[in-house]
Amino acid sequence: MEAVLESKPKSNPATHKNRPVKKVAVLGSGVMGSRIACHFANIGCEVVLLDIVPGNLSDEEKKQKSARNRIVDGAFQATIKANPAALYDKAFASRVRTGNFSDDMGLIADADWVLEAVIENLAIKKQVFEQVEQHRRKGSIISSNTSGIPIQSMLEGRSDDFKKHFVGTHFFNPPRYLRLLEIIPTAETDPELVSFLMNFGSLQLGKTTVLCKDTPAFIANRIGVFSMMTIIGLQVEMGLSIEEIDALTGTISGRPKSATFRTADVVGLDTFIKVADNLYKDCPNDESRDAFAIPDFVRKMAENNWLGDKTGQGFYKKTKAADGSRQILALDLNTLEYRESTKPRFDAIKAAKPVDDLRKRLRVLHKAEDKAGEFYRQASYRISRYVSLRIPEIAEELYKIDDALRAGFAWEIGPFEAWDALGVRQTAEHMKAAGYAPAAWVEEMLAAGHESFYKLEGGKRLYYSIPDKAYKAVPGTEGFIILDNYRANSPVWSNSGATLHDIGDGVLCLEFHTKMNAMGSEIIEGLNKGISLAEQNYRGLVIGNDAPNFSAGANLMMMLMLAMEQEFDELNMAIKVFQDTVARARFSSVPVVAAPHGLTLGGGCELSMHADAVVAAAETYIGLVEVGAGLIPAGGGTKEFALRAADAYREGDVELNVLQEYLLNIAQAKVATSGYEAYNLGIFQHQRDRVVINQDRLIAEAKAEVLDLDRKGYVQPSRRSDVKVLGRTALGSFNVAIDSMKRANYISEHDALIAGKLAYVICGGDLSSPQQVSEQYLLDLEREAFLSLLGQKKTLERVQHILTTGRPLRN
Amino acid sequence: MQEAYIVAGYRSAVTKAKKGGFRFVRPDDLAVDVINHLMNSVPSFDRSLVEDVIVGNAIPEAEQGMQIGRMISVRVMPQTTAGVTVNRYCASGVETIAMATAKIRAGMAECIIAGGVESMSLVPMVGYKPTLNYQVSVDNPDYYSAMGLTAEAVANQYKVSREDQDQFALNSHKKATAAIKAGHFKAGIAPVEVTEVFVNDAGKRQERSYTVDTDEGPRADTNLDSLSKLRPVFAAGGTVTAGNSSQTSDGAAFVLVCSERMVKEHKLTPIARMITCTTVGVEPRIMGIGPVAAIPKALKLAGLKLADINLIELNEAFASQSLAVIREAGLNPDVVNINGGAIALGHPLGCSGTKLTVQLLNDLKRTNSKYGMVTACVGGGQGVAGIYENLN
Repeated sequence: MEAVLESKPKSNPATHKNRPVKKVAVLGSGVMGSRIACHFANIGCEVVLLDIVPGNLSDEEKKQKSARNRIVDGAFQATIKANPAALYDKAFASRVRTGNFSDDMGLIADADWVLEAVIENLAIKKQVFEQVEQHRRKGSIISSNTSGIPIQSMLEGRSDDFKKHFVGTHFFNPPRYLRLLEIIPTAETDPELVSFLMNFGSLQLGKTTVLCKDTPAFIANRIGVFSMMTIIGLQVEMGLSIEEIDALTGTISGRPKSATFRTADVVGLDTFIKVADNLYKDCPNDESRDAFAIPDFVRKMAENNWLGDKTGQGFYKKTKAADGSRQILALDLNTLEYRESTKPRFDAIKAAKPVDDLRKRLRVLHKAEDKAGEFYRQASYRISRYVSLRIPEIAEELYKIDDALRAGFAWEIGPFEAWDALGVRQTAEHMKAAGYAPAAWVEEMLAAGHESFYKLEGGKRLYYSIPDKAYKAVPGTEGFIILDNYRANSPVWSNSGATLHDIGDGVLCLEFHTKMNAMGSEIIEGLNKGISLAEQNYRGLVIGNDAPNFSAGANLMMMLMLAMEQEFDELNMAIKVFQDTVARARFSSVPVVAAPHGLTLGGGCELSMHADAVVAAAETYIGLVEVGAGLIPAGGGTKEFALRAADAYREGDVELNVLQEYLLNIAQAKVATSGYEAYNLGIFQHQRDRVVINQDRLIAEAKAEVLDLDRKGYVQPSRRSDVKVLGRTALGSFNVAIDSMKRANYISEHDALIAGKLAYVICGGDLSSPQQVSEQYLLDLEREAFLSLLGQKKTLERVQHILTTGRPLRN
Repeated sequence: MQEAYIVAGYRSAVTKAKKGGFRFVRPDDLAVDVINHLMNSVPSFDRSLVEDVIVGNAIPEAEQGMQIGRMISVRVMPQTTAGVTVNRYCASGVETIAMATAKIRAGMAECIIAGGVESMSLVPMVGYKPTLNYQVSVDNPDYYSAMGLTAEAVANQYKVSREDQDQFALNSHKKATAAIKAGHFKAGIAPVEVTEVFVNDAGKRQERSYTVDTDEGPRADTNLDSLSKLRPVFAAGGTVTAGNSSQTSDGAAFVLVCSERMVKEHKLTPIARMITCTTVGVEPRIMGIGPVAAIPKALKLAGLKLADINLIELNEAFASQSLAVIREAGLNPDVVNINGGAIALGHPLGCSGTKLTVQLLNDLKRTNSKYGMVTACVGGGQGVAGIYENLN
């Protein structure tokens, strides 16, 4: 199977068989089925979602299609309404057609891929496959989304063509957001199909595809649940509380914010117990099998129906205190009673908190002398030993385990990467001393003088290949540009907040690296430096980074300080510089492409809107949120919306309505919940911008866009002086609307003041009649309004509140 | 001066805007159907005798534009019959009857069709291009008060509680449901045939026809519990909800008004006459209180006392303003909206004045009563009150 992966084509060479995936049938509309259907709709496929006819229909209902589809329709409607959204854009729901197994199995006849996601029961799955066999066309893909049933066991009684095209495809919940897709072939699966799915899963579905063996719970759940059970075991051994465990196993140590027990509450204790029980049953030869034995208190919790969020209480319970305020109770594991939760304190965490770099932070945590240090050491010895011993049982290659845990359990770094951070040799020695000796191959690796599981070479990250006893590039990552891998090279230019990398082929990449990537003077310097250098020596510039968020917006701290000192001339200058810098992204002589992802707010959004093109991650949360800080967009954002509205005006249309949509986007601080929604908000433009599903490919795709623009003969756009603004013909209506909102108590006096200034700018002021104006005229209005708001006490209160709490203040 | 008489009057059923039976029916088509029904009810009467068609409409643009009054008259009458559009917002439909009556009394005409039509499905309430005066927006933005906000302002100023508003709304539904069951509206409704052309589930063009003859708004299943759970829709912390506000609707209603001479000459049977009708301005911010100013003035013009009025149709724009008017004007709740009001039955703006008149005249006949009144609050800060005498 490894050979298959290795031979994976880079980009559709002639030998690669085309497998169109136009239509996908998802069987089973439970949480996973409905959400998987949504994700296929997200990428543009036509989807058929089927489920059973309800068993309790009256004779009358049995004739009604709506009643027969009640299960599937109910599940799908609930899914498209759920938060966080399963669809990138609600309109994509029209790509999904629902039906039932009894009437609509014929719809799978022309499906290219039939994905089974019915209940985890082998007999039922086999029945469904029996039906699939009758209706599917030969050559179509059939896959099962099982998380626990051996894939091989589903083949019994199936035709050769079915077996050849059958494979396990294990998505993680929620499939839009969790990046992992485990691909589990059987002995009879066509290797070409596996190769195709590895590539399709990555490129089209945007997933980290991990090729797994058909072993119990595959890779991610096997290791993830072992890790969780180890932590629970340590909790009991060391007498730690659940809040203490969550404090230790959250973001501080590179695990998700929901840590251990809040994650368990979200997932549901029943699901967790089921996976652990199955692992205990199915892994009789696992040397650490006892770790999967569910402790008594967890069984007791299940008996009490304390399953987590779905039953209202689990390890935690949300209640109301006597004064009506929200209160979170935590389960005391000794008494099995809920008590007030406490905030744990550990010296180790206190020492590690100021360390930004996770790998350095892990070293601090593991060296700590306190109970926390002991916990980290014990946990890492046990987990490291376990993963080393799982090779080659669950995977030949170590990177798969790291990929699976990062993508499926949202670990910031995988177990081998963490081991690397702590030092492989040193940790292995400590493990032996503590009675958790690692697998022999680790000793062999070290004996051969290989000191780490991964290393960087020429901008590429290599992993230690155990069968080859040598370092190799991770297959399937040819299309990725990961800036972390460039750190070994010396950058083109760098300051404390931004770095310019040469990412090859004459393209520069400007990386931000301030806190939350807030844009202050360092980043502005970086932008100007990058554009200047690109204009001299390069074909173009990518603005992109691999941080969780592209940019949280302008650095408010600097502005607050200047405003408090009443340095308005200096502020005016600073805003002017920001406006001019953002404008350079558009008017430079070389293509500049922005690659937003994650939070892209305020100034980050303005910068993206002014780039020559945007190549955005599907998971981009972008918007102009300045009003939350008591301000209006003044880095060209308000100007740009006025301009885009003007460009949308058509002879005879009611222009006010178009302008109003743009105004509301700013006034309500709307943030798109996906890259696709950003089109609906007028932030992205269809002709110019595009969305990339797989975020690992983002910078590489942005680079390709730069090269494409360059090849097509890029010439910078000219500055506009023909922006039609509506003046008082629109301003009167906006003023009245704002006054009504205020009188209806929907907005405060200060909100109304901000909205009034915003309306004034976006209308181009109180001109007697519509007129064409220049971009600079609008930028000057923006700046004037921004400065006058910074002179308002309530705006300063808002800015201060955001800086101290991270949340907007309504005053 | 010769008297002007109402000889006949009909209305369409009132349907729910954007989802009801008339959701795609053009208002001019709807008006044509109702006028045809009206004229067919006096078969001996030659249509060429009708001199003018006065059509009330609150948002005369788009489907209601192109001077819809004339567009209606030219299609349903000989070309010599004129047509005009009148807009006094929610008073339009009673204003047109007043204009017809006044013209005939003044000797300027002998026979006029008066009424109103509104499609709230097709034309939004503020029109397609609300372009408000910038200077007013600076000096007096409340002149442009949204109707829901005026309802909140009335509730605050006249201390109308949420509970009272919801109870009032519930009563409206109960009375309307009972009236439909008892068939009280049958005599006044012109059934309208509708044909819809659409693409069906199979992706094919399809036609279907149906008759609209029953008001769609009243809910037999509503109750205080569900009404009290609705959230305020016009103001944070407010009391006005979708449940205690009038429904947005589509409908048309027309009456035939003839001079005394014509009634005699053509042996027509008058059913009623409009004694008087008046409109008074009030503060735009609390427009809902308008009837409190209009009712005493109308009574004085008619030479009547409030106690003389046997039945009152008070347009239920909002429960808050209806209750404030009943209390402030000292109306007897038992004679107000005996068949429910706009909260249950709907409020097709420019049609409502005529629609309420048609209902009132049938109720006066059915209950053998003499005097009735139609009164309404009017956007922009006005109140209207028209007084009728039953001649049946």
